[in-house]
Amino acid sequence: EVDVLVQRVVKDINNAFKRNPNIDEIGLIPCPEARYNRSPIVLVENKLGVESWCVKFLLPYVHNKLLLYRQRKQWLDREALVDITCTLLLLNPDFTTAWNVRKELLQCGALSPQKDLYLGKLALTKFPKSPETWIHRRWVLKQVLRECFPPEPDRKEQVGGDRCNAVERLRLGEHLHRVLHDEIKVCANAAGRYPSNYNAWSHRIWVVQHMAQDNLKVLHDELSSMRQWVSMHVSDHSGFHYRQFLLKCLVGALSLSPSSSPQTDARGLSLDCQRRLPQQVNGEATAAGSCPRSPEEQPLVPAVLFLFQQEMELCTDLIQSFPGHEALWCHRRHVFYLWHHW
Amino acid sequence: VKDVVIKPDAPSDLLLDKHADYIAAYGSKKDDYEYTLSEYLRVSGIYWGLTVMDLMGQLTRMNQQEISDFIKSCQHDCGGISASIGHDPHLLYTLSAIQILCLYDNVHILDVDKVVEYVKGLQQEDGSFAGDKWGEIDTRFSFCAVATLALLGKLDAINMNKAVEFVLSCMNFDGGFGCRPGSESHAGQIYCCTGFLSLTGQLHQINADLLGWWLCERQLPSGGLNGRPEKLPDVCYSWWVLASLKIIGRIHWIDKAKLRSFILACQDEETGGFADRPGDMVDPFHTLFGVAGLSLLGDEQIKDVNPVLCMPEDVLDRIGLHPDLLS
Amino acid sequence: MKLYSLSVFHKGPTKSNLLKSAYDLSSFSFFQRSSVQEFMTFTSALIVERSTHGSRASVKEQEYLCHVYVRNDSLSAVVIADSEYPQRVAFTLLDKVLEEFSRQVDSIDWPSGNPDTINYKALDMHLAKYQVQNPREADAMSKVQAELDETKIILHNTMESLLERGEKLDDLVQKSEHLGNQSKAFYKTARKQN
Ligand SMILES: CC(C)=CCC/C(C)=C/CC/C(C)=C/CC/C(C)=C/COP(=O)(O)OP(=O)(O)O
Repeated sequence: EVDVLVQRVVKDINNAFKRNPNIDEIGLIPCPEARYNRSPIVLVENKLGVESWCVKFLLPYVHNKLLLYRQRKQWLDREALVDITCTLLLLNPDFTTAWNVRKELLQCGALSPQKDLYLGKLALTKFPKSPETWIHRRWVLKQVLRECFPPEPDRKEQVGGDRCNAVERLRLGEHLHRVLHDEIKVCANAAGRYPSNYNAWSHRIWVVQHMAQDNLKVLHDELSSMRQWVSMHVSDHSGFHYRQFLLKCLVGALSLSPSSSPQTDARGLSLDCQRRLPQQVNGEATAAGSCPRSPEEQPLVPAVLFLFQQEMELCTDLIQSFPGHEALWCHRRHVFYLWHHW
Repeated sequence: VKDVVIKPDAPSDLLLDKHADYIAAYGSKKDDYEYTLSEYLRVSGIYWGLTVMDLMGQLTRMNQQEISDFIKSCQHDCGGISASIGHDPHLLYTLSAIQILCLYDNVHILDVDKVVEYVKGLQQEDGSFAGDKWGEIDTRFSFCAVATLALLGKLDAINMNKAVEFVLSCMNFDGGFGCRPGSESHAGQIYCCTGFLSLTGQLHQINADLLGWWLCERQLPSGGLNGRPEKLPDVCYSWWVLASLKIIGRIHWIDKAKLRSFILACQDEETGGFADRPGDMVDPFHTLFGVAGLSLLGDEQIKDVNPVLCMPEDVLDRIGLHPDLLS
Repeated sequence: MKLYSLSVFHKGPTKSNLLKSAYDLSSFSFFQRSSVQEFMTFTSALIVERSTHGSRASVKEQEYLCHVYVRNDSLSAVVIADSEYPQRVAFTLLDKVLEEFSRQVDSIDWPSGNPDTINYKALDMHLAKYQVQNPREADAMSKVQAELDETKIILHNTMESLLERGEKLDDLVQKSEHLGNQSKAFYKTARKQN
C-alpha cells in the first residue's frame, strides 16, 4: 500500500508542474505525521511544498526505481524516466546518476535543455550549493552553445544563403543572450540563499567565460549590478572575487588595441554595442566628462585608470561604513594587485 | 567576526572508543533513510569510515570481504568505479576505491590496467581532467587522477607536463588555487592542488610563504579553521588547511593547541563521531577529518596520517609511496 | 545586510508582553516563513525577559544578531538583523521606535495590550525604511545618533549566556505555548544540520 501512496505522490508532483508552469520555488513543510486524506503535495503562490513525513517513503521509492532501471532489471519508458528523475532530483539533487539519465534523455531528444535548466533552477531554490546541479547545468549549457555554434564542418554554407544566415544568426544571438541573462539570475538567486556560495559564483564565472568573455557590454552590466550587490553583502568573499574577475576581464579587454573592425566572434552577435567604450553603455565607469571624443579615437588608458579609481573609492567607502570585514580588505589587496600588474 | 563559541562543558578529551563504535555501527543501518540519501557517494563514504578506523587501529572491526566484493562490483567495463551498484563511474569514486583496496592490500582484485586506461582517457588536451565522460573540469579531478595513478605506480600513463601546466593555471594572486582558471581560492581546492603538485614533484612552483599566510589566516579566535575569509569554522577544514600547510612546510604557523580544542569540541559525547561544528549532527566525513587533523597535530593515540593522500603512513610505507613535502 | 524583525514589548515582572511587531522574511524560503516568524517572536520575547531595565544588548544566535533596548519604564524593543547590519543603525532604530511608540500609545495600555488592541501602525514603515538600500545611507543614519554610547552595549555571544544555570534553550522551545508543532519540528531539523 506504500507503493500505491508513493505512486500517487509522484503523480501529484508531476501534475502540479503541468497545472502550473510558473512554479518558482520548492520546499519541505515540517510535518511529522500524515494528515488524513490529504495529499502531501501543496501548491501555493507558485511554491511547491512537500510535507516532510512522506519523504522517507518517497525518496527510497524513486531511488530504487531508477537504480533498477539502470541495472536493466526493470524497464521504464521515457516519460516515466523524466518523472522519476524529476522527483528524485528535487529531493536529492546530488544524485549524479539521475542527472546523467537526464543527459541521455536530452541527447535523444526526449527532454529539452530549457526543461532541464528549469528543474535545476528549482532544485537550487532548496539546495543552493548542490555541486552536481551546477555541474549538470554547465553540461546543458554546453549543449545549448553547441546548438548555436555548430563546429565548422557542420555549418552549411549555401550559395545565396547569406541573408538567411544573418537572420538566423541574429535569432541565435538573441536566444543566447536570453539564456545568459537567465543563468545570471539563477546564480544571483542562489548566491542570495547561501553566503559565499562557491559553486554559484564559480558557475557565474564559467558562464561569462563561455558566453561573454570579450563582450564589453555584458562585462560592464555585470560590474554595475555587482556594485550594489557587494555593497549589500560586505562579508561575501565570493561576490568580491567575482567582481575582481570582472575587473580583470575589463582591464584586459580595454587594454587591447581598439579595433574599429566589427567583432567577428558570433557570441556577441545580438549585442550591437559589443565593443563600445564604457561611457557609451550604462556601465558604472561613466567617464563621459573626462573623455569627450568618439569611441574610436578614445585613448583607453584613462578608461582603465578610471576603473581602478572608482574601485578604490568604493572600497574605501565600504571599509569606513562597515568596519571589521575581512572580505573588504582582501578586495582592496586584490585591486592594488591588478593595478600594479596592469 | 563570524565564529563559534566553545562552551565550557564541550568535550575536551578524545573519545576514540566512541568514535570506533559509531563508525562500526554506521554501516549496519543500511535500511535507514539517511543511508539511502548518501548512496550516491557510498564508495567515498566507505573510504572515510575505513581510514578513520585504521587510523584508530580498529580496521579489523570492518568486514573486509563484504567491502572488497562490493568495490569489485562497482567497477564498470570502462574501468572506472562508481559510488555504488547501478550508479555511474567517476574519478571521485575511482580514487576512493583504490584507497580502500590499498588499506586492505588487495588492489589486484580489480582490473588495474583498466583503471589506468579510464583515468588516462579523462585527460583533456589542455592537461586538465574531466571527472567522468560528461566532461566537467575541476582541479579536484586532477588530484584524483594523479593520486589514483600514484597509488597504482602508474604516474607515467598521463601527460604530466600538461597536467601540471593546467593546475598551475588555476593559481591565484593570493597564492591559493580554485577549481578552474579564474576561480576563487578555496581551502579544499588548495589541498587538491598542493597534493597534486606534491605527487608530481612540483612543489617548488608554489609560493609557500604567500600561500602559507593565506592558509594560516583561516584560523579563527575559537581555534577552528574556515575554508575562505568570513566563513564559519568547520572540522573538515582542519584537514584541508592543515594538510596543505603540512605539505608546504608551514604547519607551525597556526596555533595547534587552540585548533585541537576546537576539533575536540566537535565530538558528540553521546553518539560518538565528529560534527562540522560543536553541537551539530555527526557524520563519517567529519569524523575522518577530525581524527586525521588530530593526527597531523601530533596526537599519539592516533596513527600517523599522510597529508597528501589522507591515509595511514604505514599503508603508504607498504606501497613505497612517499610524496614530497616542503620543509 | 538585512533586518528581519522589529518588535515592541512591555517587560513585566516575569514575562514580556508583545505589543506590536513587523517582519521582513522575504529572504527565507516560503514554507519556512511562518516558523521563522514564530521563532523570531519567541526569541525576542525571551531576550527582553532576560535583560535588565535600562540596558542595551546585542545577542548572537547562529548567523543572526538580536539587538535589544529595554528602557527604564519597561518599554522594550528588539530588532533581529544579520551579522552585517551595522549595530549603531540598529540601536538608532530602536530608540526612534520606542520614543514614537511611547508618545502615541498610553502607558496604561502597555502591560495588558496585544498586537490587535494596540493602535500603532508605523512599525512596518520603520522596518522598511531601515532596510539598507544603499550603504551611504546606513552610514549617514548612524552618524545622526553619534551620542549613542557604544561601550554600554552588552555583547552576548550566544543565547545560552542569557539563560540561567541548568536552563536549556531546547527545553524552553519544547515548553513554549507560542510555538506551534510545525515550528517545533522545524527547530529540531534546523538545529542539527550544517
Ligand atoms: C583523499 C581525499 C581526502 C579527498 C579526495 C579529493 C577531493 C575530492 C577533495 C575535495 C576537496 C574539497 C572540499 C573541495 C572543495 C569543494 C568546494 C568548492 C566546495 C564549496 O563549498 P562551499 O560553498 O565553500 O561550502 P561550505 O560553505 O560548506 O564550505
